[in-house]
Amino acid sequence: MSDAIVSSPRVGSASTGGLVEVAVLVGALGVLWFVPDFAGDYWLQLGFRTCVYLVLAQGWNLMAGSAGLVSLGTSSFIGLGAYAALGLLNRVGAPLPLALLICATAGGVLAALVSPALFRLRGLYFTVGTLALAELLRLLMVNVSAFGGATGIILQEDPPALPVLFRYVLVLAFLASLTITLCTRTRVSVILRAVRDDEDAAAQMGIRPYRVKLGAFVLASALAAMAGGIQAAKLGAIEPYGMFGLQWSIDVLSMVIIGGVGLRLGPLVGALFVVALGEALADYPEAHTAIAGVILIVLIRFAPQGIVGLAVKLPLIGRVQA
Amino acid sequence: MPDIGIISSTIVAGVLLGGILALTALGLSIVLGVMRLVNLAHGDFLVVGAYAGLFFLQFTGIDPLIGLPVVAVFVGMLALPVYSFLLAPLAGRGAEAQMMTMFAVSIILENAFVLAFSADTRSIARDYATVPLTLGPITFPLIYLIGFAISVTLILAVHWLVSATAFGRDLRASAVDAQAAATLGVDVKRVQMLTFALGAACAGVGGTLMGAAFQFGPSSGGAYLLNSLAVVVLGGLGNVIGTLIGGIALGALQSIGGLTLGDGYRDLVGMALFLLVLAFRPDGFLAKGRT
Amino acid sequence: MDRPPLLEVKGLVKRYGGLVANDRIDMQLRAGTITGVIGPNGAGKSTLIGLIGGAVVPSEGSIRLDGRDVSRLPASERARAGVGRTYQIPRPFLDMSVEENLEVAQYSIAPFIRATVAREERRALLARTGLADVATLTGRALPLLRRKRLEIARALALKPRVVLLDEVGAGLVDSEITELIELIHSILDARTAILIVEHVIRVVRECCSRTMVLNFGKTLIEGPTADILGNDQVAAVYLGTGGARESQTADGTAPAADSAIHVSAPEAEAQVLAPLTAPASAEAATAPALQFSGISAGYGQARVLQGIDLTVERGQAIAILGANGAGKTTLARTISGVITPTAGALLIDGQDVSGWQPHQIAALGIAHCMEGRRIFPTLSVQENLLIAARGADALTARERLEAVYDLFPILAERKTQGGTSMSGGQQQMLAIGRALMARPRLVIFDEISLGLAPIVMDKLYDALALLKKARMTLIVIEQDVDRALALADHAYVLEHGMFALSGPPRQIAADPRLRHIYIGGAEDASMGELTSIG
Ligand SMILES: Nc1ncnc2c1ncn2[C@@H]1O[C@H](COP(=O)(O)OP(=O)(O)OP(=O)(O)O)[C@@H](O)[C@H]1O
Ligand SMILES: [Mg+2]
Repeated sequence: MSDAIVSSPRVGSASTGGLVEVAVLVGALGVLWFVPDFAGDYWLQLGFRTCVYLVLAQGWNLMAGSAGLVSLGTSSFIGLGAYAALGLLNRVGAPLPLALLICATAGGVLAALVSPALFRLRGLYFTVGTLALAELLRLLMVNVSAFGGATGIILQEDPPALPVLFRYVLVLAFLASLTITLCTRTRVSVILRAVRDDEDAAAQMGIRPYRVKLGAFVLASALAAMAGGIQAAKLGAIEPYGMFGLQWSIDVLSMVIIGGVGLRLGPLVGALFVVALGEALADYPEAHTAIAGVILIVLIRFAPQGIVGLAVKLPLIGRVQA
Repeated sequence: MPDIGIISSTIVAGVLLGGILALTALGLSIVLGVMRLVNLAHGDFLVVGAYAGLFFLQFTGIDPLIGLPVVAVFVGMLALPVYSFLLAPLAGRGAEAQMMTMFAVSIILENAFVLAFSADTRSIARDYATVPLTLGPITFPLIYLIGFAISVTLILAVHWLVSATAFGRDLRASAVDAQAAATLGVDVKRVQMLTFALGAACAGVGGTLMGAAFQFGPSSGGAYLLNSLAVVVLGGLGNVIGTLIGGIALGALQSIGGLTLGDGYRDLVGMALFLLVLAFRPDGFLAKGRT
Repeated sequence: MDRPPLLEVKGLVKRYGGLVANDRIDMQLRAGTITGVIGPNGAGKSTLIGLIGGAVVPSEGSIRLDGRDVSRLPASERARAGVGRTYQIPRPFLDMSVEENLEVAQYSIAPFIRATVAREERRALLARTGLADVATLTGRALPLLRRKRLEIARALALKPRVVLLDEVGAGLVDSEITELIELIHSILDARTAILIVEHVIRVVRECCSRTMVLNFGKTLIEGPTADILGNDQVAAVYLGTGGARESQTADGTAPAADSAIHVSAPEAEAQVLAPLTAPASAEAATAPALQFSGISAGYGQARVLQGIDLTVERGQAIAILGANGAGKTTLARTISGVITPTAGALLIDGQDVSGWQPHQIAALGIAHCMEGRRIFPTLSVQENLLIAARGADALTARERLEAVYDLFPILAERKTQGGTSMSGGQQQMLAIGRALMARPRLVIFDEISLGLAPIVMDKLYDALALLKKARMTLIVIEQDVDRALALADHAYVLEHGMFALSGPPRQIAADPRLRHIYIGGAEDASMGELTSIG
């Protein structure tokens, strides 16, 4: 399993266009689909976590790397998805895939609802606004007893088996990557980046910046909500502090930064790195976060374009990528 | 129906507490407005201030309110190396790099607090923290009034510094076009370093006051940060006087929210208010924050 | 004439608080015509373009495109309806390549255009606007004038029916202006109308059939271009007597004082400037004010200056001439420390300052009035000025302020306003004033007359002459060769990062090689034909 994932950096290094990328994605899905047949629970756990992170990071990268929307509010949508998924599973008995689709819709709708407020803010102020949104939702969940209050809610039936969950999340990661490929390997990318660079000048070129930003925001939020939904299904029990916590938003941000902002492979490499780091530091619980912090500082400082950017600079890989 | 005394006490206490909240947000506001940095370690700087006040009291026996200048200088000095070794090398690399670095600093600090001071919650125990002050029907803790006075004074001083002095001019110019400022003779690095230290010093003072008024622990930073962000956004981003107004508004409305809906809703009211303000505030208000 | 106008503006008003930037403007643009708009700095020209383009919301009045009222539509919808504009201060998408900059326009109006068609169109556009060689560079990497061309190319990529050009000719040398004029003529066809705002009168004269003059937001006069340029009133408020005017009718009558710049007797003017000029140092000045020895400098991989030697004596005024892209601004930036030389030594007053930080160099009394103005938007006009008066006590700072306000009275009127809430030309005045506030011993003026009304330019050069008389060392980078040579004691012509010519102004002016550089294909003049001197 780990071999298969590590080998997929070829995904973007072939730059002959979106078609190759799509083919590689399909290939990766085909191969990874069979991982549960021979890999143990430990690896499936790691694979699951990597895929969830990948979905989140892809969406975030689309917003920030392309449309210039740096969000610290990913957890709003993760939490929303988590609550929606467990609610649907518990109350309606909806099958998981359907529940996830509804999560996506809910995430998109929430994004659309808050966008009139958030899009008034540009640049860093947008970032601060998204952070506040997550906090608002968390406080809401803590206080409204219908949602279980501070103790949260528990999945009444047994969660699906790990191999099943793994395949779901794999498909989700595939879809997320595919969507992003479609957005970044086509004309859409030019439009997105124009909005990122200078909204007013873009408008003067006939672009409707509001709609473009809204599109990216809705898409990324739908992805995050699905990731939250499947994460909740796996956990079986959720509470507001965890699901709406700032930690999620920060994790996503660090993954993309560690991988390389705006780079095609950044999210994947970042997700792998964060999962691997978590494993490596599991033995030092008392200083875990401090060590992670130091590593983050060093990486930001010495790998400005993230790990992928660093790799591209190495002559051999660089040539292939260019 | 609560009686008039409780209502007015609550509102007055909310307003006074809001003043303290404004002070805790002041450092964040300056650093955001001037350096375009969302200092995710701001909450932990406040915690440093609280611990500094606590240990100052323990070791010297002098009241931490008298020792506030010492605490401010101490926390400000701590921030200097953070700026010169961690932030300055990232200049020109976009907002995210510095923001993430400060997040890393924040988790390192939090971990260090636990290792050094254990995970216990503490407070700076002084009489004035618990002594109630009664004015007619209104009753509130004395510390609120003391904190409010200190906070308003400090905010006005910082406002004067930023808007009316040569240093403030340099600071605002460096924020928008560092290269042009340097060519005109501004030592941009020094200006930014001092700004960052000033922000931290304000956090030191704010932290001590919070530590005297409430309990705190190694992981209080997160909650402090979020409250500060709400104040900053409510008051108009990067605007010093706005921060004071934002703080007072937040404090008052939180108290009213807590009184009418139940204590759990205090913070919720603040955040909801914040988003509503964003959604309905006319564009003109935000124009300032954007530039 | 019988056809209805393509664009019709009626009673258009734009107020900024108490200030009326456009005051009941009526205007008609007919398909197949080019219309000029001229007028003093701050007259409201860019505002008019902003109003038509949709970036500025009108306070009153209507704008009809093909009979349809578009005055409430946002900029994006106007662009889609066929209005293409350029920004006076270019705003390329900085992190996208030049070609991608054009793709933005193409894909936004025609998302499903065939890739090959789009590519052909882009190629043609890039060739027409002289950007083909930089197609893969990012917007950030382009110098100012290339950015201006990109503005045009991007506007054209929208296939607009109404083209609004805001000062696209500023800063171009003669040969480039010729190209620009050809380009503008080639855009025009039977279904297109063009509006040109320009201080380069040649462009107006050779392109526009009709011209409108704005003054204080109002239409002063409108009519056939030749009549307008020969009009006395226009000369008085705008053209001045400095050669920009078409024909001199009323000889000897000095133009009435305009509001932009102080007009008074030279002696009085020298008094006024006194606070801004450093006293000539008493001690024997042996070392030259500035010395370059073998300086090379550039950006990243690109080496722009290729081993330059230059000596500027105290009190000397030198002119740096050269085609766009020759490295003039790079030279200026090297002096002020914004870029560090990769080889050679930079000496100021005999002291080696290579590798010093910009603020350290500024502290030596070097001021640099930067290309592109660089006004701080978050500082008021007065604060923009005061920030440069470093280390001056309140009283001296006040004296210098008064001197700058005397030079540019409009700045005094606007002193509490935000620095960038003024017109392009007013900001240029602010930038000049700011450089002088340091009371520098040496000033580098990089393209300071860019975007100034001709009459203001006259006054500006009078002021420079006074500064020179007060023994301020001046380095003037300027596209207006005549003005620069008239001021300078010594001139250098930069080409491909080396001095191709140098000498006293008279000799340079007479040198056929100068003509060659400026008139004969600025960018492709080959090095072989010119003997490099150094
Ligand atoms: N955002 C703004 N806020 C306040 N005043 C403004 C603003 N923009 C422009 N103005 C003022 O409106 C007037 C017209 O400005 P405009 O930019 O249209 O002048 P212009 O004719 O293009 O001048 P120039 O030749 O110098 O470019 C000026 O007095 C300017 O100071
Ligand atoms: Mg203009």
